[in-house]
Amino acid sequence: MVDYKHPDVLVETEWVAQHLNDPNLRIVESDEDVLLYEVGHIPGAVKIDWHVDLQDQLVRDYISKRGFEELLSSRGIANDTAVVFYGDKNNWWACYAFWVFKLFGHEKCLVMNGGRQKWIAENRPLSKDAPNYPRTPYIAKDRNDKTIRAFRDQVMQHVATGNPLVDVRSPQEYSGELLHMPGYPQEGALRGGHIPGAKNIPWAKAVREDGTFKSADELKALYESQGITADKDVIAYCRIGERSSHTWFVLKYLLGYPKVRNYDGSWTEWGNLVGAPIEK
Amino acid sequence: MDRQEYIEFILDHLNNPRNHGTLADPDILVNGGNPGCGDVVTMYVKVDADNRIMDIRFEGQGCTISMAGASLITEMVKGKTLKEIEEMPYTALIDQMGEDVVKSRLRCATLGIDTLKGAAREYPSRQALGQKLIQPIVLAHTLLTE
Repeated sequence: MVDYKHPDVLVETEWVAQHLNDPNLRIVESDEDVLLYEVGHIPGAVKIDWHVDLQDQLVRDYISKRGFEELLSSRGIANDTAVVFYGDKNNWWACYAFWVFKLFGHEKCLVMNGGRQKWIAENRPLSKDAPNYPRTPYIAKDRNDKTIRAFRDQVMQHVATGNPLVDVRSPQEYSGELLHMPGYPQEGALRGGHIPGAKNIPWAKAVREDGTFKSADELKALYESQGITADKDVIAYCRIGERSSHTWFVLKYLLGYPKVRNYDGSWTEWGNLVGAPIEK
Repeated sequence: MDRQEYIEFILDHLNNPRNHGTLADPDILVNGGNPGCGDVVTMYVKVDADNRIMDIRFEGQGCTISMAGASLITEMVKGKTLKEIEEMPYTALIDQMGEDVVKSRLRCATLGIDTLKGAAREYPSRQALGQKLIQPIVLAHTLLTE
């Protein structure tokens, strides 16, 4: 039996319950369903909305260094604060927020195993009170887009050199079938299919029914069986980079792959890119 | 209303959805969805001879805003003609939900009204052929989250 390579980035719900009043820690809820925080959240948690808070509203990109500093100051997060992310959909958006925090070099980032679903299933307390923490000084590093983020030209090069890609979308999206479903919009992509050579390993295969991550043994078997191994340079993608940040987290921290990048342009970019090669 | 009151209004529609369920023998059965978000709604509508909505039900699965918006629109359109629904401004719905609350999720908020507007546009041509507008029920939710 193998352990997670970086087990220190994962905390359990019980640990969080015992640290609700820890002044060195900030709990951050990040959901797809934007009003879930208002329905009820872990007492003391602050909300970060992936769409409004993390993304530039004009250019398709993330917020600036200054914007990140302002965001964290407003949430009472200092440079040395440990941030525990959790959210709905088995921590999709929690991992996405974690990934964006890492782009700006925030050091102490943690994920609550099982996310919102497990916290509620265990009948732990929820609060509707939005805390108001004193502003903190925060000095962000320059955003580093080189080590954990991939851009389309890099993906093109990646394909050309035969390096592995993981398409973490559903099999129907991977095959392109989804665009042909009757009565539904095609969600912004003109072509269906996947990036040539990509292996389809849906993100949710990395989690159990209760939302917690599978064991290191299970994860290792899942990815290695598809040729996604630690010695390779791996790029993960999905539709807009949210589900693939979950897989990025698994590969980077739970399995310890040294070179994993998230292609956040993902299918909404590739499926619209003139001349980009596609497989079905 | 302030922001919190709008949120309470939305959560009330989520927790106590109006006109939730199905209708037997509908004149219109249409799906709408944002597959990327996992939001999906099915609308069942009965109309009278003037194409005025006599009864309406919805089923769906999705986020707080999309389901609350679908519930709210079913209340708003009862008694209206399909033509009136086509012409109904989105602001009629958005204003009730609180623009500030839903502005970053307009596609979710308008899922229900968009589905009905699409049906309102398409139904007359079916009607001219003596047909109803009946789509197969498709649930997209699990496709994207599996």
